[in-house]
Amino acid sequence: MLRSDQILATVEMIQKENLDVRTVTMGINLLDTRGEGIKSCCDNIAARIEQVAGNFVASCEAMSRRYGIPVVNKRIAVTPIAFVGAGYGRHDFVRIAQTLDRAAGNVGVDILGGFSAQVEKGMTATDRELIAAIPEALAVTEKICASVNIATTGQGINMDALAMMGHTVKELAERTADRGGFGAAKFVVFCNQPGDNPFMAGAIHGLGEGDAVLNVGVSGPGVIARALERLISNHSSPGSLRFDELAEEIKQTTFRVTRCGELIGRAVSRAMGIDFGVVDLSLAPTPTIGDSVGEIFRILGIDAIGAPGSTAILAMLNDAVKKGGIFASKTVGGLSGAFIPVMEDALLAEAVGDGSLCLEKLEAMTAVCSVGLDMVAIPGSVDADTIAAIIADEMAMGVINSKTTAARLIPVPGKEAGEEVSFGGLFGASPIMAVRNVGKSSRFIAWGGRMPAPLHSFKN
Amino acid sequence: MQKQMIISVMSKDRPGIVANITGAIYRLGGDVADLNQTVLCGYLTMILSATFDPEVTREDLLAAISHIKTDCRFEVSIKEPGPAEPATQLAPPEESYILTVQGPNKAGIVHGVSQFCFERNINILDLATSLRNSQYTMALQLDLRGCTLSIDQLQKDLTDYAASTDLTVMIQHNDIFQVTNEVALH
Repeated sequence: MLRSDQILATVEMIQKENLDVRTVTMGINLLDTRGEGIKSCCDNIAARIEQVAGNFVASCEAMSRRYGIPVVNKRIAVTPIAFVGAGYGRHDFVRIAQTLDRAAGNVGVDILGGFSAQVEKGMTATDRELIAAIPEALAVTEKICASVNIATTGQGINMDALAMMGHTVKELAERTADRGGFGAAKFVVFCNQPGDNPFMAGAIHGLGEGDAVLNVGVSGPGVIARALERLISNHSSPGSLRFDELAEEIKQTTFRVTRCGELIGRAVSRAMGIDFGVVDLSLAPTPTIGDSVGEIFRILGIDAIGAPGSTAILAMLNDAVKKGGIFASKTVGGLSGAFIPVMEDALLAEAVGDGSLCLEKLEAMTAVCSVGLDMVAIPGSVDADTIAAIIADEMAMGVINSKTTAARLIPVPGKEAGEEVSFGGLFGASPIMAVRNVGKSSRFIAWGGRMPAPLHSFKN
Repeated sequence: MQKQMIISVMSKDRPGIVANITGAIYRLGGDVADLNQTVLCGYLTMILSATFDPEVTREDLLAAISHIKTDCRFEVSIKEPGPAEPATQLAPPEESYILTVQGPNKAGIVHGVSQFCFERNINILDLATSLRNSQYTMALQLDLRGCTLSIDQLQKDLTDYAASTDLTVMIQHNDIFQVTNEVALH
């Protein structure tokens, strides 16, 4: 048997530190469901989801009971719908979104991702129709998330698509103005979007995947925070504790958390007879107190999130999480790192409110985190071109640094910087972040075309 | 055919006990298989299994151990499992769970928890307890294959038991502890 102290450390992690499996996301291939017309396409999609994912939620719950660890979210990611609905128009795509929404409800998942297009180099007529359908599709559905990949390190940035993204984000928010612009919280623009990311809003079932696959997202900022606090308070001579020891603690804790996720994910995949894909070991905060990435900044010595040192801490955190997780799991994928979604993290939101975290510092921090400008509420008056230009900066960081970056911005209709917006539940709440230099980037956005792919050597 | 003996030894702890006992076995041509030893409050206890030629008897082994020169007496017990009594160690069954119990020390904790398990036909595979700063901790490895309840019902019973005894009780699947504490991923 294991040693008692090892057993108790694990018990502590589960009992007191909110250890959970954040999401089990089933990827489902829909490429062969197009059919001969939109009705047969919708019927095929509904049947496929029902057939593959019919007992998905029950299987997750059975394994959760068996192992005594909650699986918080059960979700589905599908083949980017622009590929599935080749040749269909925007109204057809809205029907597909509604079909997906009903199918997700029928199998009991809370979110379905993949209302998506991949346009990093160019856009087909179908891609344009899908993008045009996004605002309405997300306004008339509950569970659907959309994403568009407009940039890669290999292809650069599609500037025509970039310009459209500004308008898409604005229209999403305006169509859902009665809910604070919530539609924009279900839409994310990507650079280097992974095809196996289990986290929403950006989950898709990539074209390189099989017919069905299970990906697991493990999280646990609360577990990391408590482990660090315990290390600091139990240390025999606290003055001698060094930064590398803190990094090591994060690494080891991530290892344990990842292992639990992989155990449960593989058990679900065995029970369902579906291939296991990857573990995505990301620190994804929730608005719950004690489940914050922002809290880790404070524990690691920054009194205000956004103060000098914040980027360095995030860089260490992101790297330590990757190291621990990659060693723990047989197959790692997705985003794997630390998220800083402002609205979903109570302490990050608080830092926006007290002025310590501004957009420019947040952007700098995203250069070393695993996603990007995530769940950032901005004034509803910010114009589409300025939003596109903020996205462009974020995309450029991903392109040049060969990493995934994303932007999920919510221009809250009728509200200005400092006012509050709340979506409730996992989507959280936050004061609205000020955007400086609004309306000064339109000439840049108007160029269109492409930002060329970068050089892959001489990386100084 | 070789004969198997299960030998248990208890003694005041000192360097050389394992060497003495296994030396006696070796001189009788015995081959040691599994061995476990632990030390508690300065006393060592050891249980081991060994195989011997058929002519070696329990008495031979007892005599060999009693001839060891030592200041502390060995208390020895030897069993010879019959053919219907397989003595090979089995790997933990798939329905193996870890139960942890923590709380302020008082008389009857171990008895209460073990009685709880017995009443539900739960076999205790392994058990370790410790007392630190008046806090009593038990970690039990349990085989739930014969358990009369579902895991959900067992969790409910444990919650009630914890509430009635003022103990913190938690049960988790053994695999969770293995994957979080061992480097090899099975």
